Amino acid sequence: MLAAGLWAGSSAAQDDATSLTAPFELHAFVSQGFILSAKNEYLANSKHGSLEFSEVGVNLTKTLPENLRLGVQLFGHDLGPFGNFAPQFDWYYLDWRPRDWFGVRVGRLKMPFGLYNELNDIDAARVPILLPQSLYQADHREYLFALAGGELYGDLHLGDAGSLEYRAYGGTLPAQPPGSRPGVTVTRAAVPYVYGARLLWSTPLEGLVAGFSAQVVRFDWDVVLDPALVGALEPLGLLPPGLTYPMQVQFRVPRWIASLQYTAHDLDFSAEYSRWTGQFRSPAPALFPPHTVNERYYAMASYHAASWFTPGLYYSGYFVNVEDRHGRENYQHDLAITTRYDLTDHWLFKLEGHLMFGTAALDNAQLNVGRERKDLAPTWGVLLVKTTAYF
Amino acid sequence: MRSTAHGKGRQRRAALATALALALALLAVGWAGAAPAPGFRVITHPGNPALSVERAFLADVFLKKTTRWSDDEPIRPVDQGPDSVTRQRFSEQILRRSVFAVRSYWQQRIFAGRGLPPPELESDEAVLRYVRSRPGAVGYVSDRAELAGVKLLGVN
Repeated sequence: MLAAGLWAGSSAAQDDATSLTAPFELHAFVSQGFILSAKNEYLANSKHGSLEFSEVGVNLTKTLPENLRLGVQLFGHDLGPFGNFAPQFDWYYLDWRPRDWFGVRVGRLKMPFGLYNELNDIDAARVPILLPQSLYQADHREYLFALAGGELYGDLHLGDAGSLEYRAYGGTLPAQPPGSRPGVTVTRAAVPYVYGARLLWSTPLEGLVAGFSAQVVRFDWDVVLDPALVGALEPLGLLPPGLTYPMQVQFRVPRWIASLQYTAHDLDFSAEYSRWTGQFRSPAPALFPPHTVNERYYAMASYHAASWFTPGLYYSGYFVNVEDRHGRENYQHDLAITTRYDLTDHWLFKLEGHLMFGTAALDNAQLNVGRERKDLAPTWGVLLVKTTAYF
Repeated sequence: MRSTAHGKGRQRRAALATALALALALLAVGWAGAAPAPGFRVITHPGNPALSVERAFLADVFLKKTTRWSDDEPIRPVDQGPDSVTRQRFSEQILRRSVFAVRSYWQQRIFAGRGLPPPELESDEAVLRYVRSRPGAVGYVSDRAELAGVKLLGVN
C-alpha cells in the first residue's frame, strides 16, 4: 500500500521534484539467477546447479531545495554462502551540491574504483551477468563496494580539452573477519580507514573516457592460532618464541586502476589494468608475507545490435603474485561470452558462458571444501542465467 | 617559345585550380542542402535570457553534469519517452548516444545513488506545458509542434 502510494506519486515527483510536498521518487529491482559450473564450485555450490543467486533492492530519493538531496537503498542478496537475504542499507546519503564543480555527500556511499565498482549489484545497468571478476569480485562486496564516511565531488569543464569528473572520499568499512583457515581464528576485526580518489576525463574525442583511481584500506585483526598449529610451526622457526595471543595483525592494501572506455553509438569497449599491494605487519612474518603485489586486468566489448539484443564478450586476467605467475593456483584467466535480451523496458534476461583457466580466485573456504587451489581442476567452465525486473 | 609554353602551363594550372575550387564549393553547397533536418527543436522557458547553447553544454544538461544556466538559474531538463522518435533523434544528435545507452547511464546513476534522470513526458504538448510553466526548463519537441509560450533555443 505504501509502495503503491509512493509509486503513484512518482510521476508527480517528476513534475516538480524539489517541492517539499512532492513525494519521494521510488525505484526497485528484483533479480534471480542460476549458476552451473563444471569441475569446480564457483560463487555457490554450483556443480549441480544453484539458484542461490538472488538480489533485491528498493531505493527512495528526495530532492530538496537549496541543492540538497537525500537517498537510501535497502538491499538484500544471496550468492552461495554470501548475503543469505540479510537486508541492509546498501547506501544512504545526504548530498549538497552548490556548484557543478563542487559537491559534498556524507553517509554510506558506493566507492568509485574503476569504471564499474558502483554497478556490481546493478544487473540492469550493464551487459554481462558477472562483471570481470578479476577486478569486480561479487564475493567481496562487503568490503569493496561501499564505505561509511564522506566524499567531495564535481565536474570540471575544460573547454576544448573535454571535462573532468573528480571524486575523493574517506571513511571506514564494515569490519567483518576474513574467512577462517584451518587452525587460524580472527577474534576481532576493524577497519581504521579507507580513503581514495577517482578522476574520469571525458576526452575531446567523442565517447572516449580515460580514468585513474587509487585507494588505501587497512584491516586490523586479532588472530589466535590453534595450539596444535603453534606446536607445529614453532619448531620450524615460523613463529617467534613466546608469542602472546591474540596477536595483532595489520593488513594494509594500497591499490590503483587505470581505465579506458570508448563508446561509439551502439558499440561499447572498456579495458582496465590494476595492481593491488598487500602489506602485512605482524609478529609472524613467515605466516603473513609482508609484501605481495597482485595484478588484475580485462578488456570487454558489447554491441547493442537491436533494441532487444546486446551481445558482449570479455577476457579477464588475475595473478595473485606478480613474482610468481606459474601454477594453476597463482593465476585465473576468464573468457566470457554474454547476451542480454531486453524483453521490455523494465524486464531483461541474460545468458552467459565462461571458460576458465587457473584457480587463483577460488579461495573461499566454504566452497571446494577440503581441496587446495593447486588441487582444483585447472580448466573449467561456468554457465549463468539471470532475469531482472526493474523500474 | 619557352615563355609561351610557360604561360600556357600557368593558364592550365589556374583553370584547373578554379575548376577544383568551383567543384568543392558546389559539393559543399550540395552537402549543406542535403543535410537532414534534425527532426526536433530545442525549447526553453521564455524568461531564459539564453538565445543559443553549445551542443556539448546541452548534452551535459541532459546528463545532469551541468545544472545551472549562466545567470545561476537551476536548469530543469525534460525528456520525451524512450520510444519517441523525437527522443531518439535528440539522443543521437545531441548526446551522441543511443537511447539505450542513455537509459543504461541513468540506471547506473539511480541504483548507485548518484542522481535521477530528467522526467520523461509522453508528448510534445506535455513537454511544452512543462517548459512553459517552469523557469529554467529546457526540452525538445518535434518539428511539427506549435511553439506557443516557449522560446526556441539555438544549438551550435
